Amino acid sequence: MNSGVLQAINGISFAALLFLLASGFTLSFGLMRVVNMAHGAYYLLGGYVGLSITRYTGSFVLGVLAGGLAIIPIGYLIDRCFIRRTGENHLAQVLLTVGIAFVIGDIALKVWGGDNLKVPTPIELRGAIELPGGIIYPTYRFVLILFGILVGLSLWLIYRKTQIGAVVRAGVDDREIVSAIGINIDRLFVLVSAMASFLAGMAGVVGGAFLTLYPGAEWEILIYALVVVIFGGLGSLEGAMIGALIVGLLDAYGRWLLPEFSYFVLFGPMAILLLFRPQGIFGRES
Amino acid sequence: MSAAIEVDNLAKVFGGLRAVDGVTLHVAPGERRALIGPNGAGKTTLFNCVTGTLLASSGHVRLFGHDVTHLPEYRRTELGMGRTFQITNVFTELSLAENLVLSIVGTDRRKWIIHQPLSAFPAIREQALAGLEAVGLRDRSDHPVKLLSYGERRQLELALALNTSPKVLFLDEPCAGLSPSERARIFNMVRALPRDITVVLIEHDMDVALGLADRVTVMNRGRVMAEGTPEDVQANPEVRDVYFGHA
Amino acid sequence: MDSYRTVLGLVALAAALLAPLAVGQFWMTLITQIYIYGLLALSVDLLLGHAGLYSLCHASFFAVAAYTTAILQVRHGVPTLLAAPAGILAGTLLAILYGASVRTRGVYFILITIALGYIIWGAVYRWASFTGGDNGITNVPPPSIGSVIVASQTTYYYFTLAVVLLCALGYRTLIRSPFGLSLRGIKASESRMRSLGYRTTKHLYAAFVISGAMASLAGVLYVYYNRFINPVAASFQISVEVSLMAIVGGSGTIIGPFLGSGIVLGLRNWVSSFFEFHAAVMGIVFIATILWAPDGIVGFLSRLRARGTRTKAAPP
Repeated sequence: MNSGVLQAINGISFAALLFLLASGFTLSFGLMRVVNMAHGAYYLLGGYVGLSITRYTGSFVLGVLAGGLAIIPIGYLIDRCFIRRTGENHLAQVLLTVGIAFVIGDIALKVWGGDNLKVPTPIELRGAIELPGGIIYPTYRFVLILFGILVGLSLWLIYRKTQIGAVVRAGVDDREIVSAIGINIDRLFVLVSAMASFLAGMAGVVGGAFLTLYPGAEWEILIYALVVVIFGGLGSLEGAMIGALIVGLLDAYGRWLLPEFSYFVLFGPMAILLLFRPQGIFGRES
Repeated sequence: MSAAIEVDNLAKVFGGLRAVDGVTLHVAPGERRALIGPNGAGKTTLFNCVTGTLLASSGHVRLFGHDVTHLPEYRRTELGMGRTFQITNVFTELSLAENLVLSIVGTDRRKWIIHQPLSAFPAIREQALAGLEAVGLRDRSDHPVKLLSYGERRQLELALALNTSPKVLFLDEPCAGLSPSERARIFNMVRALPRDITVVLIEHDMDVALGLADRVTVMNRGRVMAEGTPEDVQANPEVRDVYFGHA
Repeated sequence: MDSYRTVLGLVALAAALLAPLAVGQFWMTLITQIYIYGLLALSVDLLLGHAGLYSLCHASFFAVAAYTTAILQVRHGVPTLLAAPAGILAGTLLAILYGASVRTRGVYFILITIALGYIIWGAVYRWASFTGGDNGITNVPPPSIGSVIVASQTTYYYFTLAVVLLCALGYRTLIRSPFGLSLRGIKASESRMRSLGYRTTKHLYAAFVISGAMASLAGVLYVYYNRFINPVAASFQISVEVSLMAIVGGSGTIIGPFLGSGIVLGLRNWVSSFFEFHAAVMGIVFIATILWAPDGIVGFLSRLRARGTRTKAAPP
C-alpha cells in the first residue's frame, strides 16, 4: 500500500516537471501554430547552463533562473530566423526544429561532454522528509511538486484571470480577430514564445537535479511532453496539467509494475484515446 | 411517386445559433428548384446538411424515399447526390483531366485499382475529355488547374459535379463572381441538363434563379418564408420586402 | 523530354549494374545500404508525397520486420524462405494496427506517429529478454534459398538491386493507378474527394498499410545486409532521416527518395571520417533543405531545366 502511494508521489513529481515543459509547447502551438521539436533541446541546454551557473555561483536558484533566461534569446532567434519561414507547414516545422535540436545537442556535447551530469541541489533540499502516513520521500522531489503547483497556478491565473491572458486565449481561439482589433499579435507571439523558452530552460535545471543531464535526454523528455500534449490536447493549458498528471502517474506505475513494458503502459492508453478522441481531452477537432 | 428530395423539419444548431430552423421542403423528380434568400438565411447550411458535408441537428433528409439523414457524405454521393461549392473547391495541384477522372471514378469500384495504371483505361480518359468538352475546357485538359482563371474554375467545379452520375444536383451559387458571358454559359448548361437529373440551386442572381426554376423556395433567418412558382414568389409582398425593402 | 529521362534512366541502370566491377568492396556495401534506405524512404514518400500524410513511425515497420526475421533465423533456425516473408508479414501487421492513426490529420497525425514509433523503440529496447535490448540480435546468417547461400557481398548487392527495381516498378504502377490518383486528390482537397464519393479515410488506411509493407521489405533486406539488428533501427532519428531523404531527393517522384538516400548516407559517411559531430551536420542539412530546397534535388533540377528551355524559346 505504501509503495502504491510512493509511486503516486513519484508520478506527481514527474508530472510537475513535464508540465513545465509541456505548457510552453502546447501554448506555442495553440497561439502560433508552431510545433517546436527543439523544446527538448531547450530543456537540455537550459539544464547545462543552469548546471554551470550553479557550480560557479553556488546558488541553485540562480542556476534555475539562468537556465530559463539563457533560452529566451535562443528561442527568440530560432523563432524569427527559422520557424517563421515555414508558415504553417507542420512537417517543415518538425524537420527544421529536429535539425536545430541536432545542432544544439552536438554543441552541448562539445561543451559539457557525454557524461551524466547532475545539477547540484542546495543542502536544504537534499535528504528526505517524512510525509503523513510515515512515508519517507526525497525532499527535492517533494518540493518539485510544490514548485510545479506554484507555476501551474500562476500560469492558470494569468491565463484565465488577467487581461493579457484573455488576449492570449482569444489569440488561441482566433488569431485573425485578435489582429483585427488592433492588438499587436507579433508582440504577443514573442511574449508567449519567451515564456515557453523560459519554462523549458528552467525545467532543464530542475529536472537535471534528479534525472541528470546527458546526450539523448532531450529526446527522452520531449517524447513525454508530446504524450502529455496528445492526451491533453494541443493549445490547452488545462490539458497540459491533466495530461502531465496522467503521463506522470502512468509512467510511475508502469515502471514499478511492468518495467519491461512501461512504454506500453504509457502509450497503450494514449493509442486507445486516439482512436476515439484524436484531439485529446481538451483539444479542438482539427 | 416519391419526391427526389424530402427535407423534413431540418434544423442545424451551432452553439446558440439556429442556422437552419425547421425547414421542410419537397423537390419532385426532374424539378428545377431555386433556393433564394438574403445572406445568412441558412441556404448553404441547408445544402450542407442535405448533402452530408454537415450532419443535421434534427430532422430528416430523404433521397428518393431513402433516409440519408445520418449517412456520411461519400455515401450520399454514391446514392446519387452531386454538388458544387460556393467557394470553388477543385484540385488545384492536379490537371483538368485528372480532376475529371477523380469525379468519374469516385462512385465507381475502379477507384480501388492499384495494379494497373490509368493509361490502361482509355475509356475513362475519353469520358474525362468529354466532360471537359461540355464545359468548354477540353483544350486545356492536361494543364494544371493552377493556370485557370476564376471563371474557368467555376466551370470545372460544375463539371466535377456533373460527372459523378448524379440523380440530384445541388448547385451552390454556380454563377458567383462570373462575368455576364460566363454566367450565360452556366445558365445554358444547367438549362440543357436532362430531366432525369433533379436540380436544386442557390443563386443570388435573380435572372438566373427565376429563369431556370420551376419552383422557388425563399429562406430567411433559417426558415422557409415562401414557396411557389417564380411569378408567385416575385409577387409575394413579404419576399419583396426582404429583398427590395431593406436593400 | 521523355527521351531525356529514358536516357538518364538507362545510364543510371547501367551504372548500378556495373558498379561492383568498378568500385571497391566498401563503396559497394555503401551503395547497397543506399538502396535499402532508399526503399524505406520511398515507402514514407507514398504517404508524404502522394497522400499528404507525414508519418514519422516508419522505422517501426522496418525494425519489426528486421527483428522478426533475425529472431527466427538466429534463435529458431528458420530458413530464409520462411523467415523473410514472416518478417514482412510482421511489419505489415503492425502497419495494419498503426493504420488507425489515419483517423487524424495534419499535426495530430505527425505527433501520433512519433509516439507510435516510440512504442516500438521502447519495446525493442526494454524487452531485453526477447529482443536482446541494447545489444540487439547478432550473427544473423546470410540469406539462403534452399541450399544456395548468398554469402558474397556482390551477390547480395545484385539481389538487393533486383528487389528494389521490382519494387520501384510496382510502385510506379501504383502511383499511376486510379488509387494513386485518389491519394493525390485527397492531398489536394480531402473535402472535395468526400463529396465526390470517396471514403477518404479508407483510402489513406490502404496507403498506410501498403507503405508499411514496403518499409517491412526494406527491413528484411537490411537485416541480411547488416547481419545484425539493434534498437537504433527503430529510433525516431531513423524515421526523421528517411523523411528527409524523400524531401532532399524530391518528394512525389520515384528516384527522389533514392537520390536523397545517397546524399544523406554519402554525406554522413564522408563527414564522420573527419568530424565527430555529424549529428550537427545532419541537422544543418535538415535546416538547409527545408529553408532553401523544399522540393529537393529533382525539383531543383526541373526548375533549372524549365529555365533552360524558356531561354531557348525566347525570341532573339
